[in-house]
Amino acid sequence: MIIKLERVKIQSRKTEEAIDITAKVDEIVAHSGVKNGLVNVLTSHTSSGLLVTEGIPCLEEDILTHFSRIFPEDADYHHRRYLDFDGRLGFNADAHLKSILGGISCSFPIEDGKVVRGSRQTIYFMEYDGPLERTCLIQVLGE
Amino acid sequence: MIDFHTHPVLIREFVEKYPGYERMARRVFNIGNNFQPLETFFLQMDVAGIEKAVLLPIDCRRARKDAVSSNEQVAELCARSDRFIGFASVDPMKKNAAKDLENAVRKLGLRGLKLDPALQDFRPHDRKAMDVYEAAAELKIPLVIHTGMSWAPETLLARGNPLLLEEPVRAVPKLNFVLAHWGWPWVWEATALALKYPNVYLDTSCLYYDSPKEFYQFVFSKQIPTTVIERSLRNKVVFGSNYPRVEIKNMVHALKSLGLTEGCLNKILRENAERLLGIRAGD
Repeated sequence: MIIKLERVKIQSRKTEEAIDITAKVDEIVAHSGVKNGLVNVLTSHTSSGLLVTEGIPCLEEDILTHFSRIFPEDADYHHRRYLDFDGRLGFNADAHLKSILGGISCSFPIEDGKVVRGSRQTIYFMEYDGPLERTCLIQVLGE
Repeated sequence: MIDFHTHPVLIREFVEKYPGYERMARRVFNIGNNFQPLETFFLQMDVAGIEKAVLLPIDCRRARKDAVSSNEQVAELCARSDRFIGFASVDPMKKNAAKDLENAVRKLGLRGLKLDPALQDFRPHDRKAMDVYEAAAELKIPLVIHTGMSWAPETLLARGNPLLLEEPVRAVPKLNFVLAHWGWPWVWEATALALKYPNVYLDTSCLYYDSPKEFYQFVFSKQIPTTVIERSLRNKVVFGSNYPRVEIKNMVHALKSLGLTEGCLNKILRENAERLLGIRAGD
């Protein structure tokens, strides 16, 4: 049994951004030595996310636009106050809620050393509160 | 646009390079966010439309053991990018404070003075502090001085009362005093000083509850009328974010939500800062 965990740094460059990490996941799986197993992909943050959808720009835009429609920046959130453990105010409830809505992880089977996914499936790291350097966790398990 | 109030306290590259940097950020400045590569600082400026940022250190080694960034660290960042404008900080209670300031300006190329009576634990109208104000005036650099509430633990709220600065403001008329955080919660006191004295300016880096937009809407329209800024203080206000306590873009959006005229916004976001720093338009 092989278990390998990679911490991949991702520098987002905008406030909100859908970043295609499919190739990175494929690469890590290919170098893991695992022929048959599972790959888990997760964000390690609560104001970013991980989701899978068709990899075309119009959908990237739709996801971000309609998440913002559901959780607008200016809504009346309780999460608008001083956070003593952070030494600053928190006012990014919209980003946290988008993270919950879109999810923070995905997993795919591995067969013959390759990630098994549908031809249209693209893995996105979703930035909802950037620009920031983020950490994406990619864990490969199998034999 | 220029951000007149930022603190380089979460620079990832400095964590390994400077022992004590992480301790300073957590214990003295009291911020819990992740350290970020310098690139993030520039990207935060980019998304806010900010071209240049003033970097403010605080020499609070006597009072708090660690400085909140050193003059040398600020100078190092300025050497890496002309998007940074570095200020110096000295301890006014130290014997050679005036000389230290002169060295920071002449040798390190720093372009202003930052003081924080609460964090540095000195009385703003102390005789020794007066010597530093006079030194800054001689050097023809502006002073950004903390007023209002400080989030840093173990600091005295009362040290931030802007009226404690009235004597220094009168005694050193050639020094431009930029009252940080608009003196909140003493916003009327800070406003009165800026209205009365030609050498008093205000920065907008105040955010103590709610969201930036909500806070600005209350303080700059209900607590003091927006018209005071538009009509009377348009030449006396500089934009400051207090990044990384708040993202720069949120403060820019909040400022722009006040309904100030474009001419007034241009002054707050650029022209007043350029005048204070001696930058000619287009430089």
